[in-house]
Amino acid sequence: MSRSCGKLDEAGVALPPDGAYPAKLGNIINLFESLPEDERRETLVSYADNAKNQEPRAREKFDLADVRKDEECMDTVGVYLHVDKNGKAHIRMTLGPEVQTLTRSMTAILCKGLEGSTPQEILDLPSDFVTRIVGAELVRVRSQTIYYVLTRIKSICKVYLDRQRMAQVA
Amino acid sequence: MATYPTQYAHPEALVETDWLEKHLKDEGIRIVESNEDILLYDTGHLPGAVHIDWRADLQDSIIRDYISPEKFARLCGRHGITPDTTCIFYGDKANWWACYALWAFRLFGHENVKILNGGRDKWKAEQRPMTREVPKYPATNYPVPKKRFDKEIRAFFDEALTHSKSSKPLIDVRSPGEYKGEITHMPEYPQEGVLRGGHIPGAKSMPWKTATNDDATFKPADELAKIYLDQCGVKPGTDTIVYCRIGERSSHTWFVLTYLLGLDKVRNYDGSWTEWGNKVGAPIEKSV
Repeated sequence: MSRSCGKLDEAGVALPPDGAYPAKLGNIINLFESLPEDERRETLVSYADNAKNQEPRAREKFDLADVRKDEECMDTVGVYLHVDKNGKAHIRMTLGPEVQTLTRSMTAILCKGLEGSTPQEILDLPSDFVTRIVGAELVRVRSQTIYYVLTRIKSICKVYLDRQRMAQVA
Repeated sequence: MATYPTQYAHPEALVETDWLEKHLKDEGIRIVESNEDILLYDTGHLPGAVHIDWRADLQDSIIRDYISPEKFARLCGRHGITPDTTCIFYGDKANWWACYALWAFRLFGHENVKILNGGRDKWKAEQRPMTREVPKYPATNYPVPKKRFDKEIRAFFDEALTHSKSSKPLIDVRSPGEYKGEITHMPEYPQEGVLRGGHIPGAKSMPWKTATNDDATFKPADELAKIYLDQCGVKPGTDTIVYCRIGERSSHTWFVLTYLLGLDKVRNYDGSWTEWGNKVGAPIEKSV
């Protein structure tokens, strides 16, 4: 009987192969996993600084926009989706000033890492990579909103795909 | 007609932003940032400030408790703190975690502690200097504290239960929705694993924020007295217990009662609702 020799998470559960992630996101995951803790923190802060650059730019048009303040998040989060003629997704996000640093980091990471993926690839994305990027030390009950950003991105992709399917049926 | 204090009982326990900017390099002080946002210090902090992480630095990683006296001594030594150092705490969220860290320092008997009135948000709003440079201080040999002052300023479940049964003052500083049992998490926060909503029987609701102004500074002494002495029925010399979900918001109220109103028998029940709301056999009350 063969045994898996892939990567395991902290609970000993096999992680998806790196190929399960879009290439850009896979590169970011690999980068973070190679960093010592202090450099990991520095890099997360750099990404957080970069979150502002993920906002919609002048004259950009979107297929869907979802701007709201949810109960479990500190402030308003906006997600904007454009799917180009090749079916590739381009995501922009806006964050209110109260959104925490780690959530800002994850916003920039996801916008960059998922750039050019299809909405279905984003929807199928496993969420286990979050701890591989952030590190176990920084994932706490009160920092769970780092998952919230991914949930919101998936949510807008699902709405987009549902509408596409509805249009095809009609 | 009741008379109210016109000054804080311990005005020396607060420093203002203006004062601190002029004294950033004073000998004998250590500015300590403690936040909820775990990367906030890394994004910029007061010049010379060190970072103390409420969980990684102050809490034991195995037992739900605080670090050992030996670890506390090492933590202080690492930041160049001696027993004579005046630690000035500040942080985000109107100083919740700054008050929590201050309270934890008091648990280990560190006496010289102050809060930056208004915390990080006020400092930043006033466009005072911030830096990303992490300071290095010569390590000190902080003596291992001989005792922890749990009996004096900390309450455990059994003590809170006895307090409840004997109708002594208990203040629930969570949001009204949490107190009433309508929600089991703070508004705008994820659920932190509590099975039941409500409050400790007999506890009065006085959300922590009642003690602050819009800029996160503390309200004047007379207003605080009206809130806590009149509305909560707290009196000097009477055992009082404060609680929230995990002890950080109640540290803020503990600071107000202890330092600003000068009440000497106030304890923080840090087990708070995440213990009480899950505890087998613990009575609760809902919506009052």
